[in-house]
Amino acid sequence: MPDIGTWVGAFLSLAILTFLYRDNPFFRFAESLFAGVALGYYIGNQTNQTIKPNLVLALARDFSANWDLIFAGLLGIGLYFRYIQKVAWLARVPLGIYVGYYVGVTLMQKLHGEVLPQMKDTILPLSAPGLAAVWNILMVVGVFSVLLYFFFSLEHRGALGVASRVGILFVMVSFGAAFGYTVMGRVSLLIGRLNFLVNDWLRPLIRAVF
Amino acid sequence: MHLVDRLLATDRRIIYLLVGLGALIPLLIPIGLPVTVTPPVRSAFEKIESLPAGSVVVISFDYGPSTAPENDPQAGAVMRHCFARGIRVVGMALYPLGGLSVAVEEINKVAAEFPVTYGVDYVNLGYKDGAQAAMRRMNEDLHELFPRDASGRPIGELLLMQEVRSLKDTDLVFSFATGIIGEWWINLVNAQFGTPVAVGSTAVGTPKYYAYLKAGQAVGLLGGLKGASEYERLLSDHYPDVARIYESPLLYTATQGMDIQTIVHLVIIALVLAGNILYFTSRIMRRSSPGGRRA
Repeated sequence: MPDIGTWVGAFLSLAILTFLYRDNPFFRFAESLFAGVALGYYIGNQTNQTIKPNLVLALARDFSANWDLIFAGLLGIGLYFRYIQKVAWLARVPLGIYVGYYVGVTLMQKLHGEVLPQMKDTILPLSAPGLAAVWNILMVVGVFSVLLYFFFSLEHRGALGVASRVGILFVMVSFGAAFGYTVMGRVSLLIGRLNFLVNDWLRPLIRAVF
Repeated sequence: MHLVDRLLATDRRIIYLLVGLGALIPLLIPIGLPVTVTPPVRSAFEKIESLPAGSVVVISFDYGPSTAPENDPQAGAVMRHCFARGIRVVGMALYPLGGLSVAVEEINKVAAEFPVTYGVDYVNLGYKDGAQAAMRRMNEDLHELFPRDASGRPIGELLLMQEVRSLKDTDLVFSFATGIIGEWWINLVNAQFGTPVAVGSTAVGTPKYYAYLKAGQAVGLLGGLKGASEYERLLSDHYPDVARIYESPLLYTATQGMDIQTIVHLVIIALVLAGNILYFTSRIMRRSSPGGRRA
């Protein structure tokens, strides 16, 4: 016989799927419950997996070695000052520090880990042997024509118009591939749910009853 | 109303029903369609094949239950490969909404299939917030970032973690990712610290990872359920013991999922074709009708 967790999961899955027929109270109940549980999970997860081991226990275990963590903790608490009108402005300080930190990290990360390697990979020999030359030419034409499609400082007429029309063809192929993958992804999620309903809930239930 | 117009006005719920039946029937009656292996998956497989026994692979659970039907079989296949080869696994989760839960569930499930010991052959470091900041810290000191494992035990007590002090002591990172965290492993950890990275992505995210793969920034890629099924195929061909695990009727595999996926895709293609044929037939009929041309 399926356990209570499986019964709850099956009921909520079916409640969500009823939306395919029309909006109804079962769907709205499951949707609201999901939002609430997800928030509760998030809070519990952050508290037990990050704040407790990395801040609270670290300070309690060896304060003299970890005293600087107090500043990190204060920055976190400072974000909530926005809910107290008189000191709301103080929340800008930790927010500014977080934004500054992540801008610094992301800027280097994007340039060093994305822009430069991807540019390097686009500089390809057009005289490569065999089919490689065809693929390289296709890649270079694709990159340049798409870049020209997104060049808006000149009207897309004449040679620029032709190049941008080629560019949009590449963009469309890319969208088509992305859409195909999206369909595959969504179908996979449907399969996962149906597999749960059939193999984890219905089959054990039928075996237990008959 | 003409038959063509009536078919064009089909209630969308009929279409849901057809897609649902397309998924349900092969789930109840498996077909066993063949799986062909593509180069990105073979490349990921060969990377792990090239690692000697005793190597350390980081498995990062950067997804939650919302994409588990795609990512679970990927993570399961790669962990089975590691355990079958005697490669040690350091598990962690950087995705806040359910990453820890899927990590605990999947690691415990796969570890139970092999003669492996917690703390010696594998560990689960649990979840850590602030993915990019956490990744930067991992390269310096994993112990400071993860003072305790998922169950709250100090990681200094775990034999494996006494050897693994930072990412420098690991041989490969395999991120199973929904969203952008897999990209961060590539464009931060691989680019700045040189650690080889492979990714198991959701199908939705797969196209963008091809650019990293082609540029040599990722050593392999498992795209969605299809990628997982290809990895299962390779594993079953190379490791008879793992093949027996996949033959268990109690285990849901990506290979079974791809049967269903194929049938649903055929249903969708048929519906797209039928919709277009009906649309153009309707237009031709209107043009040739006595009322003259209509849009």
